[in-house]
Amino acid sequence: MTALLVAEAVTRRFVRRPSLGDRIAAAFGAASDGRAVQAVTDVSLTLNQGETLGLVGESGCGKSTLGRILAGILAPSTGRVLLDGASPMQAGHKITTRIQTVFQDPFASLNPRKRIGDSIAEGPVAHGIVTRAASGALVTDWLARVGLDPDFAQRFPHQFSGGQRQRVAIARALAMRPDVLVCDEPVASLDVSIQAQILNLFLDLRRDLGLTCLFISHDLNVVRHVSDRVAIMYLGRIVESGEAARVYAAPGHPYTRALLASSPRLGLDHAVTLRPIAGELPSPLAPPSGCAFHPRCSMASDICRQERPPLTPRSDGQLLACHHG
Amino acid sequence: MTLLQVRDLRTHFLTRDGAVKAVDGVSFDLQRGEILGLVGESGSGKSVTGFSLIGLVDPPGRVVGGSIRFDGQELVGLPVARMRELRGRRIAMVFQDPGATLNPVLTIGRQMVLAVQAHRRLSERAARALAAERLTRLAIPDAEARLDAYPHEFSGGMRQRVAIAMALLHEPDLIIADEPTTALDVSIQAQILVEMRALARESGTALIWISHDLAAVAAVADRIMVMYAGRIVEAGPVRATLAAPRHPYTRGLLDSLPATAQPGARLRQIPGNTPALLSLPPGCPFAPRCGYADAACVTDVPVIEHDGRMARCHHPLEPRP
Repeated sequence: MTALLVAEAVTRRFVRRPSLGDRIAAAFGAASDGRAVQAVTDVSLTLNQGETLGLVGESGCGKSTLGRILAGILAPSTGRVLLDGASPMQAGHKITTRIQTVFQDPFASLNPRKRIGDSIAEGPVAHGIVTRAASGALVTDWLARVGLDPDFAQRFPHQFSGGQRQRVAIARALAMRPDVLVCDEPVASLDVSIQAQILNLFLDLRRDLGLTCLFISHDLNVVRHVSDRVAIMYLGRIVESGEAARVYAAPGHPYTRALLASSPRLGLDHAVTLRPIAGELPSPLAPPSGCAFHPRCSMASDICRQERPPLTPRSDGQLLACHHG
Repeated sequence: MTLLQVRDLRTHFLTRDGAVKAVDGVSFDLQRGEILGLVGESGSGKSVTGFSLIGLVDPPGRVVGGSIRFDGQELVGLPVARMRELRGRRIAMVFQDPGATLNPVLTIGRQMVLAVQAHRRLSERAARALAAERLTRLAIPDAEARLDAYPHEFSGGMRQRVAIAMALLHEPDLIIADEPTTALDVSIQAQILVEMRALARESGTALIWISHDLAAVAAVADRIMVMYAGRIVEAGPVRATLAAPRHPYTRGLLDSLPATAQPGARLRQIPGNTPALLSLPPGCPFAPRCGYADAACVTDVPVIEHDGRMARCHHPLEPRP
């Protein structure tokens, strides 16, 4: 296994720009409330050549921010990202075409005024992957590979259904011949039957192209289906990671266990098995002390309130951040 | 006891290109206190069915035929003023997006008091007390104080709880919930599923739970109805139906779920796309995508009823061994 994409102690803070009122108040000596959100805190992870890492968490946990950092779209505040040992960014800009992204909303990610053939060809032509003269053939080829009629190249995004648009978005990302594909909730907005079609397409293309993938989703079943390894995020940190089969069969962190127990599954008697997690995700503006999950955790003790458990390997290789793991 | 009796309900949208038959011949009964899961994909007509029941279909849509008997009273053709008396008091609705349901410029308490006073002559103080009691029932901590908060001060999950609490204000006989947990995280969804089940049990309120999520419906409903292209293709007790569906579409939906497959294996997808409602094939609308379809499927589809289950299919499936 060779490490292809590595994140080292990555942290990302977002500082709210002070409003005029805040600045006036500050000028008169009022204390600034310093509303900085730490969306991602001290995350280290490795994507090995050819594997798919599933990144799971609830809204606001920082998984999309982490995805954008790994994709080289967003610079970390501290820490670094390395693709084959080199940073994918320079002076705040992405400098590699080897990482491409598929976003959740294919309605927002395609330019509504551009024919989809032009959307697909734009990147490869701009980066010299293909000449403008040959770009038509490239578009035809990719439309066919994602299961669309090559004649669709002349159409506009609004002429497509959600599932078809997501196929276009996948074609556009892969036409850049990336080594790494970051998928941020690629099937979340699709119907069940269309979701299956897109997941099958993803599995086929990943195998054929030997892609390395980061697959971000809130849907535990989808992540289980496509991932070799998974990482669970809670309030900006990874709380557990390991081989997908192991984490699902024997979750070590109380949060992972609780997530699995609150996800309804077919064929179970839910009067017995559905156990919701108490409480809600705390505000990232004021994260709890110690272990961020302690206010909702049934196992929490004094140490959990005072000390943050580090992410440490268990004997079976699973990484776990829990005092009681 | 039958609370709701729907017969051959047809809701069409009259467009320039023709009549879009969003709901086309839907019939079902709902008992008091029963939880009915109504599932289907986008465009199947599940939401329009819900909106038709509560009289909220906007033009160009119109209920063009059929009957909705609610507690003995016919709702189709009921004058608007009479429908308003029922709506919110005896039939309530919970929508997918609580952010759009709640008025952003009124406090939660203010809008709940207005909702109470729309149907009952109660003093401000009594209405507020009622509102606080309902919020407490929905596990909203510190309900009394939260009445003075605005919707934006609540999280998404809490906002949906407020919307459900408002639906419960008049202890309606029927709540129609349209994708109420779709926008919520799994942990919050689980809380609401469990709470809604308990509430329906305690209060005897019947619930129609509209969702595209089979697993969520399995967790909350007693009975399930599967819609496709404006029609009910299968109905029955939720566990028996999902364990051994009789309609190939229901089977196809279940098979396309990653949860039912071997990790990493190709999913058994349903070929093709949902049909355009303007140009439906004759006979069974699912036939063009169905592996069992043959010449018979372009003719009128028989309704097969057995053991409290219903399927609309020429070739209903036998249980898998």
